[in-house]
Amino acid sequence: MKRRDFFKTSLVAASALSVPTFANAAGQPKDDQVISDLAFPEKRPMITYSDRPPLLESPRATFAKPITANDEFFVRWHMPEIPTYVDPNTFKIKISGLVDKEFELTLENLKHDYEQVEVTAVLQCGGNSRSAFSPVAGGIQWGSGAMGCAKWKGVRLRDILHRAGLKKNAHWIGFNGLETAAYYETPNFIRELQIDELDDHVIVAYEMNDEDLPYLNGYPVRLVIPGTYSDSWVKMLSEIRVTEEYEKLFFMDVAYRVPDNETESETPEKKYPRTKPITKMNVKSVIGYPETGTKVQNGSHVVVRGVAFDDGTGITGVHVSIDNGKTWERALLDKNNAGRYSFRGWRLAIKPKDYGKLKIMAKAINRAGEEQPFAKDIGWNHGGYKYNGIDEVTVEVV
Amino acid sequence: MKILLVLALLMSALFAQVKKDEPIAVPYISYNIKMGKGFEAVQANCLTCHSFGYIENQGPQSKEFWDAKVVKMIEHFKAPMTKEDTTTVIDYLYKHYGNGKLK
Repeated sequence: MKRRDFFKTSLVAASALSVPTFANAAGQPKDDQVISDLAFPEKRPMITYSDRPPLLESPRATFAKPITANDEFFVRWHMPEIPTYVDPNTFKIKISGLVDKEFELTLENLKHDYEQVEVTAVLQCGGNSRSAFSPVAGGIQWGSGAMGCAKWKGVRLRDILHRAGLKKNAHWIGFNGLETAAYYETPNFIRELQIDELDDHVIVAYEMNDEDLPYLNGYPVRLVIPGTYSDSWVKMLSEIRVTEEYEKLFFMDVAYRVPDNETESETPEKKYPRTKPITKMNVKSVIGYPETGTKVQNGSHVVVRGVAFDDGTGITGVHVSIDNGKTWERALLDKNNAGRYSFRGWRLAIKPKDYGKLKIMAKAINRAGEEQPFAKDIGWNHGGYKYNGIDEVTVEVV
Repeated sequence: MKILLVLALLMSALFAQVKKDEPIAVPYISYNIKMGKGFEAVQANCLTCHSFGYIENQGPQSKEFWDAKVVKMIEHFKAPMTKEDTTTVIDYLYKHYGNGKLK
């Protein structure tokens, strides 16, 4: 039986599993989405929420591997007009503002005039898994697949800024891409970084997993900021502007923010007055195999596989439970770790001993001792950001 | 050296997934839109900027939720909506994508 059919026949059970029951807290994210039969350019069919702008989610099975293929990598744009054509020969990034020398960078310049560097890093939407929150937090109701991990190749932002020469009073860098709104007054998707936040891992990338970036992932170049949520990884990067003062921007000041308190939570009735940007990613793991609905044979080994990551602090362990979280067994972490910003693959063989439904849970722990909380212990926030509850799938033992 | 350079150029040409001299075509999705009073206002005001998927994907929501969403589109995204259309759109959304709760 195909996965889709399974959900048709057990729709009631599936929705009962995916609807969170705790008030002002979280349950499990949606896990019963249908993979569209319509493929977008350079992509294979994915979970599809919107065509204008394109919003595509990677299915769970993607996360059985620590590198996400370009044609399975999630897609999220903000504006209705995304360029469907960029000429690689005339494309330029403009560097301006508080620099000694304003200039324009071509793709050729990027590929030949600078030291070429690579970083393997996780790209995750701040709203990934938003559908776990109850009551519903505004925004696209992503399951767990608004994330992926790729090897990015490009040039250090710092090297580009060095060539431009930063003036003494330079404090902020704004990044703008080519996507545009339908109305002139709509704020552009500009992001700002403080110059102090920059490190050598921040790159302007033109390759993803040894290929050109897919158009829908920001061809020809995008910003890569390892360890941080994807809202600042500006796609089709066309402008880098250095300023002294922070410029007020919708996508910095209103969107992508969480309550500025210890638990980063609030209630719908009483929203927390102070907010902060989402920035660094928290510790998280997602099971790639098996999936909810997978049939496994009683007494035979099932190798559970998944990925784990954080903000670059470093994953030290992933633990798996098949008794509702009472006891946990340590999974094997992949040896070929592609650096601290990458997905860390993990696996653990389990042996089901009873027929019927079996819940498999996974939780990651990092070097700082931070571990994933149970979903029920995650507080609500209005934007539905930063969900990192212990992941669950329920298989059928036959 | 020259051969290497040519080889490198050839390689980079091979890596390109799509022909870079023509635009990509983003497909159109046909959404299962619930027709009814107010849809014209939704089409004129909402679908100019985003697909119907954005609406459908929110799931059944309270009147207050839809109200806040529309206000956000006007205040933050500068959607030029008339007062009349604003009310019409909120009513449509709540009627077809509402959860029966005002708050």
